Amino acid sequence: MKASANNLNQTQLDGNVIDRCKRGDVRAFRELYNAYAAAMYNICLRMTGNVSDAEDTLQEAFIQVHRNIGKLEREASVTAWIKRIVVNHCLNNLRKKKVYFEEVEEVEVAEEAGIDEDSFTWTVSAVKSAIHGLPQGYRTVLNLYLFEDYSHREIADMMGITESTVKTQYMRAKEKVRQIVKQQNLIR
Amino acid sequence: MPENFESFIQQHRDAFEEPGPSPRVWDALERELEGGRKGRVVSLLGKNWFKAAVIAVLLVNAAVLFYIARHKQQQQQDLAVVIPEMQDAKVYYSNRINEKLELINAYPVNELGLDSAARQELQLRNDTYKTLENELKNNPGNQRIRGAMIRYYQLKLELFDKILEELHEKHAAPTTHTKKQYEAEI
Repeated sequence: MKASANNLNQTQLDGNVIDRCKRGDVRAFRELYNAYAAAMYNICLRMTGNVSDAEDTLQEAFIQVHRNIGKLEREASVTAWIKRIVVNHCLNNLRKKKVYFEEVEEVEVAEEAGIDEDSFTWTVSAVKSAIHGLPQGYRTVLNLYLFEDYSHREIADMMGITESTVKTQYMRAKEKVRQIVKQQNLIR
Repeated sequence: MPENFESFIQQHRDAFEEPGPSPRVWDALERELEGGRKGRVVSLLGKNWFKAAVIAVLLVNAAVLFYIARHKQQQQQDLAVVIPEMQDAKVYYSNRINEKLELINAYPVNELGLDSAARQELQLRNDTYKTLENELKNNPGNQRIRGAMIRYYQLKLELFDKILEELHEKHAAPTTHTKKQYEAEI
């Protein structure tokens, strides 16, 4: 099953699944897991960069979902709540691995002269590979902004860095991806 | 196909998604959830280990005393004059036991950390008591049964003292107000 977190909505779940989860119904929690596991796993995979860490992070995140579902307010978005728990787990695990999201000076990142995007072909595999090859900090910012649809401000808050750093890192990450994809085009 | 990076990703968003996680994630998660529940039960038992142990000792003592009394009853042929003494003992111990039981019952059930069977065992007239009482009626002169009954009263009082001591250490003496607070918190 392929599903991105951005396409998920609560209508995929029966209205009372959350209420049943709150009452400790494991079968209901299984339904909740089935509805969100694929999308949340993809977030973990993008953030951690490997299957083993992604699955471990997903498991930890869902344990927290289970523990805290009683606190979920009725009118809150289940998707946004679960996604936030998953993203926070990914960020915490990266911090445990001594990945530091450092501040960078706000500088204008110029697009590399001569990179004409029209002149080479974008492919999903080339972009995936390029993103995977980014330094962890760049990759995190780029994933949160492009794939998870968080704003620069939200990403800054989650990562504990300034909004300007997020913007700069995003621009650099994007530029780096362009360069890598261009290199791959030239090799072919 | 002339596209820039961001528009390419937006247009091919679904193609960037991988299939879901392997079944091992749910299996591990389920084990964790099951373990969590077991863990809480074990933890509750651990928290109240002392009370559980005292109740177990009380039950074993009562059972042993009862067994001895029953086994030896043929050999004991005392007179019925002991009944008034037992009546006095019953009044004395019952009053003291009921006083302490009231103090214990003033605490919310969740603070006691005992299940319904254990709470039932705290009552004065539990199954052990009723059996001893019947035996005493049938064998009023039997010293062993009388001794077992007195020992039952004493053990019960000791148990309640220990429980109250533990509850006092954890909390100030409960009042109607604090009980309401506990209930509100729950």
